[in-house]
Amino acid sequence: MTKKFWRQGEPFVWATGLALSLILFLTLLLFYVVLANGLAVFWPKKVALATLQDGRSLLGEIVQEETIPHNEKKRLQFKIGNRDLYGLDFKWVDASEITSLTYPKDVHVLERQEYGNFYGYLSEFEVKGIAPPVSGSNSLAQTIGALEDRKVEVHLLGKKIANLNRRVELIDHHLAKARYNKEENTPALAAMQGEKQGLKTEFEALVSILGEKSAALATNQAIFTDANGQPKAIALPNIVRAYQPNNMSFFAKCAYYLERLRELFFDEPRESNTEGGLFPAIFGTVMLIFLMSILSFPLGVLAGIYLREYAKDGWLVKMVRIAVNNLAGIPSIVYGIFGLGFFVYGIGGGIDQLFFPERLPTPTFGTGGILWTSLTLGLLTVPVVIVATEEALGSIPPGIREGSQALAATKLQTLTRILLPMASPGILTGFILAMARAAGEVAPLMITGVVKLAPALPLDGVFPFLHLDRKFMHLGFHIYDIGFQSPNVEAAKPMVYVTTLLLILIVLAMTSTAIYLRNKMRQRHSVVDV
Amino acid sequence: MQKLDKQFIKKVRRQDRFATRAITVGGLLVIASVIAILVLIVRVTLPLFQPASAEVIHRVAVASGQPPVLAVGMDDTQEVGFTLNNTGLFSFYNLASGKTFFTAPASDRKAKVQSVESNKNNVFTLLWNDNSVTVAQVDFRLLYDEFGQRTVQPEITRMGEYPAQRYPAPIKSMMVRSHEDRLTQVALLADNRFQIDHAVVTTNILGEEKKETFSFLLNEELPGAITAFTLDENGYALFAGTDTGSLLRWDLRENERAERTDNVVAVSGDKPVTALAMVFGDISVAVGDADGGLVTWSQIWSGEGNDRVQRLRKTHTLTSHQTAVERIIPSRRSKSLVSLGADGKTHLDHMTSEKHLLDLEPSLTMAGISGQGNGLIGLDSRNNLTVWRVDAPHPEISLKTLFGKVWYESYDKPEYVWQSSSASDDFEPKFSLVPLLFGTIKGTLYAMIFAVPLAIFGAVYTSQFSTATFKKTVKPVVEIMASIPSVVIGFLIALWLAPIVEKAILGVILGVLFLPLIFVTIMAILKPFYKTPTLQNFCNGHEFLLLVPVILLAGALAMGIAPTVEHMLFGGNFKQWLYNDLGLRYDQRNCIIIAFGLGIAVIPIIFSITEDAISNIPPSLTAASLALGASRWQTIWRVVLPSASPGIFAAIMIGFGRAVGETMIVLMATGNTPILDWSIFNGMRTLSANIAVEIPEAPMGGTLYRVLFLCASMLFALTFVVNTGAELVRERLRKKYGRY
Repeated sequence: MTKKFWRQGEPFVWATGLALSLILFLTLLLFYVVLANGLAVFWPKKVALATLQDGRSLLGEIVQEETIPHNEKKRLQFKIGNRDLYGLDFKWVDASEITSLTYPKDVHVLERQEYGNFYGYLSEFEVKGIAPPVSGSNSLAQTIGALEDRKVEVHLLGKKIANLNRRVELIDHHLAKARYNKEENTPALAAMQGEKQGLKTEFEALVSILGEKSAALATNQAIFTDANGQPKAIALPNIVRAYQPNNMSFFAKCAYYLERLRELFFDEPRESNTEGGLFPAIFGTVMLIFLMSILSFPLGVLAGIYLREYAKDGWLVKMVRIAVNNLAGIPSIVYGIFGLGFFVYGIGGGIDQLFFPERLPTPTFGTGGILWTSLTLGLLTVPVVIVATEEALGSIPPGIREGSQALAATKLQTLTRILLPMASPGILTGFILAMARAAGEVAPLMITGVVKLAPALPLDGVFPFLHLDRKFMHLGFHIYDIGFQSPNVEAAKPMVYVTTLLLILIVLAMTSTAIYLRNKMRQRHSVVDV
Repeated sequence: MQKLDKQFIKKVRRQDRFATRAITVGGLLVIASVIAILVLIVRVTLPLFQPASAEVIHRVAVASGQPPVLAVGMDDTQEVGFTLNNTGLFSFYNLASGKTFFTAPASDRKAKVQSVESNKNNVFTLLWNDNSVTVAQVDFRLLYDEFGQRTVQPEITRMGEYPAQRYPAPIKSMMVRSHEDRLTQVALLADNRFQIDHAVVTTNILGEEKKETFSFLLNEELPGAITAFTLDENGYALFAGTDTGSLLRWDLRENERAERTDNVVAVSGDKPVTALAMVFGDISVAVGDADGGLVTWSQIWSGEGNDRVQRLRKTHTLTSHQTAVERIIPSRRSKSLVSLGADGKTHLDHMTSEKHLLDLEPSLTMAGISGQGNGLIGLDSRNNLTVWRVDAPHPEISLKTLFGKVWYESYDKPEYVWQSSSASDDFEPKFSLVPLLFGTIKGTLYAMIFAVPLAIFGAVYTSQFSTATFKKTVKPVVEIMASIPSVVIGFLIALWLAPIVEKAILGVILGVLFLPLIFVTIMAILKPFYKTPTLQNFCNGHEFLLLVPVILLAGALAMGIAPTVEHMLFGGNFKQWLYNDLGLRYDQRNCIIIAFGLGIAVIPIIFSITEDAISNIPPSLTAASLALGASRWQTIWRVVLPSASPGIFAAIMIGFGRAVGETMIVLMATGNTPILDWSIFNGMRTLSANIAVEIPEAPMGGTLYRVLFLCASMLFALTFVVNTGAELVRERLRKKYGRY
C-alpha cells in the first residue's frame, strides 16, 4: 500500500496542486499589495508626537516599524514632512530612544503647494482684508475658506494669461509662415502685427494685475510651530488642504477620503507629479485609447473579415494567418521603435517639410505626439482585433452562411445581416482586449510621445481644438516616471501605488468585461451547434 | 408574394461587388502594411553594413612651375582647398572654379621650409632651413550675406615665431604642441637625438606671469636611427620609430626630464618604421612600416595602485599596403586613418572595426582630411588637387565589432563591451551586442526556470484533477492575471519586492529549499490516510487548498530560522559572505527579482496554452488508460502529457517570446548594466531595455540609432521565429486531434 502510494504517483498529483496554489497565492499577493497600499493612501493617518530621550520631540506619521538586523532592536520610520525646515521627509528613530508617544488632538497637517506636508500646531493668523478668524478648532479651515474667492480669481487670471499666450504663439506661427513665404507689407500681416501688439499689452497688464493680486493674497499667512516650537509662517494660499487627523470622526475621515479621490480624478498634479491629481494622465490615457480604437478597429475587422470570408483558402492565407497571429507576440518595444522611425521621423518629418517649413528646425509633427503614439498602438493592437474577428466569424457554423445564401442573400447581406451580428460579442471582446492592452502598454509610448508633464491637453478650447501633435501624459508612464525618475522616490511611493491601483482597475474592468462577453457568446453558440 | 424589384436586386449586387473589392483591397492592405514593419525596421539598419564610398567632387590643377607643395588641406564645407609650398606660402583655391583666390605667407621670413607638421586644429609648424620655427593656424570663417549666401573666408593666424635656437646639431624635423600654458617643442637632430624645449608660463597668486624655459637633450642609447616621430596633442608623450622596427615612447609630462617608458618591436624583421601618427583621442598611435604594414598601438594602463603605468600594446592590425607606408593622416572626428603608400595608393581604414573602408585612385603624394572627416583632399604626382566626398557614415560598425571581441582603447584585453556614449568627443563608441544578447538570454532563462514548472504543473492540475466548477473560475482568473500591465509588475517587484528580498535574501533561498522538503514530509504524513473516505471526498479536486498552509509554513519557517542560519553559517551577514567567499556581489535589483517579475508575466500565457493543449486531448484516451488500471498520475504522465507535448512546447516557446521582448519589467527591475556574468545576484541589460534606455539620446540616422534598430530587428526576428515555430506545432496538434 505504501509503495503503491509513491508508485501510482499520488504525490505528483499533489505537487501539481502545489504549483497551482503557488500561482494563485502569488496572484493574490500581488493584488493584495496593490490594494492594501493603494487604498490606504488617502485615509488620514494619525500624527504621533514622539518625545525622545534627549528632550527633543518629533511630529509625524508612523510609516513602518522594523527590527534592525543583527541587534534585535525595533525602530520606527516617521514621515516628518516639513521639508523646508528639515530637508528630508522621513526619519528613522530607534524605539528605545522614544520616551513617550502621544497623539495630540490639535496637530494640524497642511498639504502645501510646495515642500510637501507640514505637521505642526497653529499659533496665530496674520490676515488682511477678511474678517479676523474666530478662535476655535476649525478657524484655519474658515480662514482658508474666506480666501477661496480670491484664490479662484487669481487662478482664472492665470488661465486667461495662458490663453493669451497661446494666441500670441498662434500669431507668431502665422507671422513666421508669412516671413517664410516672403510676404511683406500685406494688410493682413499688418493686422496680425497689430493684434499681436494688442494682445501683448493686454498680457502685460494682466500679468501685473496677477502679480499684485497674488502678492496681496500671499500676505495672508498663519504662523505654525513645529514639534519643538520652532515657528514657521505659511502663506494661506499655499495651503492646499488642512486637517487635524487626530481630531477627526470616522465620517470626517470618509469625507476627507472622498475629497482626495475627487482631487485625484479631476485635478492637475503638483510637486513634480508626486502630489495632487491625475487628471491629465487619465485624460491622456482615455484619449489615447480612443484614437487608437478609431484607427485600429475598422482596419482590424476589415482584415479579419477578408481573411475569414473573402480570401480563398490556400497556403498564402495560411501563412498570412500565422504571421498575423505572430505579430500579436512581437515585443511592444519593436512597435515603438518602428513608430519612432516610420511615423515620427518618416511621416512626421515629411509633414513638417511640406506644411511647416517655416518652423524648422523646431519640429511640429516630426517629434513624438499623441497621433503617432495612437498609430503605433493601433498597429500593435490590429493583430488582436484581426484574430478576434477571425475567431468570432470562424466559430459561426457554416450552415448559417449556406442557409443565408440559399435564401438568395448576397455575400455582403449575409455578412452584415447575419454574420456580423452573430460575431459581434466576439469582435467586441477583441476590441476590449485591445483597449486593455493599449491602456497597459508603456514601452512604445515612451519613445513616441508620452511626457512626464504635458503643458496642455491634446483637446482644448483653442482652435483647432484637437491637437494631434501635442505630447500627452499616461497613467502607465506616470507609474514609471514617478516611481523611478523622481528625485524623492520614498515620498512618491503613495502616489505610485494609487496610480497603479487605478490602472489595474481600469485594465481589469476591461478584461473582465471581455471575458464575460466571450463566455456568454460561447454559451450562445454552443446552443447553435446542437 | 411580392415580386423582387429589379432595381433593388441590381443595387444589392452592385453593393456586394463593391464590398468584395473594398474588403479585399482593405484586408490585403492591412496585412501588407503590418508585414511592412519588418521591412522598414530592417531597412533602417542596412546602411550600417553598406560599404564606404568616395566620389570625386572637385579636381583642380595647381599651376606648374610653382615651388614644391609640402602640405594640403581643406575646410569643412569642402569649398576651399589650400596648399602650403616650401616658401611658406599658403594658397587657397576655390574648388568649384579652380581659381586661387587668396594667398598668404605663414611668415615674413625669406627662407625655405625644411619640414612641415600639422595637428588636428590645422595648426602648422614650419621648420625653416635656418632652424627657426613658425607656428601658424589656418582658420575658415563662414560669412553669410543678407541673402543667406555663404562664403568661406580663410584666415592665417600667426601663433608664434621662434628664432633659431642653438642646437648641437642640424635639425631634421620639428613638432610643436601646447597645452595649458606649456609649449613643447621637440626637434629631431641629425645625430639621432631629440632636443626637447618647454616654455612654461606660470601665474602666481598676485596675477604676475612668470615664464620659464626648460631645455634638454635625450642622450639615450637608441636601438636604431629615428625614422619617424610624433607627439600627442598635449605634448605629454613622444613616440618615435626607428629603422630597426622599434617603437619608443617617452613621457614628457615633467618639465625637466623625459622618461622613456616603452621600447617595443613594432615591425618584425629589422624593417624600419616609416610613418607614425596619433589616432584621434591621443591614446593610440598608428605605425606604418617599410613593408606596408599598418598597425595601431595603444597606451594601456597596467599594474595596481601607485605602480599603474601606461604601456604600449599592439591592438589593431589594419589592411596592409603593397609598399612602404609614407604618411598617416588621422581623422579629426573618428578613429579613422588615411594612409599613403609609397606607390601612391591611398587607404582609408577604421581602427576599432579594422574595417578597410576605401582605396582611392589616382596615386597621391600628399593628402589632407576635412574637419568633419567626410572630405579628403589629395595632391597627385601630376600636380592636381583632387577632392573626394567620402561617404562612410558608420565605419565603426562591422560584424566583428557587433558580435566579436574587440580591443578597445584603455582596455587591457579584447572584450565584449556595450557603451554607446560618453561625455567626451574623442570617445570610442563600443557597440558589442553580445552583452545585450547575453542579458536577454540570462533574464529569460531564469524567468523560464521559475515559470515553466509552475505554469505547466498548475495547468495539468487545473485541467485534469480539479473540479469542473473550479476550472471555470481559475481560467478567467489566470486570463485576468495575463492582462496586468507590465509596468505594474515592474513597479511592484522593483520598489516593493526588491527591498524585501534584499533584507531577507537568505530566507528566500531557504524558502525555496524548504518548500519541497516540507511538501515531501507532508506527503509522508498523509500517506497512511490517503485512502480514507473523508480525505478522498474532501481532497478530490481540492488538493491545492490543503497545500496553501504548506506554502505559508515553508515561508514562515524559512524566514524564522534565516537569522540563526545566517549567524551560524555565514558569519552574520550572508551578503558579505557571498562577496568575500564566493566573490559574488549582491545587487538589489538582481535576477531573482527579474525571474519573479518576468515569471509572473509569462505564467498566465504558458498556463493558458498548456491548459488548452491538455484539454484538447480526447477524453477517450484518458478513459482508456484509466480503464486499463493506470492511476490518475500514470495516465497524465504516460498518456496525456506525451500527446500534449507539442502544445506544451508551443506554450513554452510563446512564453519565451514574451519574456524575451518584455521591456518595462526589465527596465525597472534591473540595474541595466551590460555585464557578462551568470550570477543570479546581479542584474543585466536586455536588448529591449537597451532600446528603451538609449533611443531618446540617439540622433536620427546616427550609428547608435541604427544599431538600436538592429537590436529591434533581432528581437523581431527572434520572437517571430519562435512564435511561428510554436504556431506551426500547434497547427499540427490541432489537425492531429481535431477540435473536441
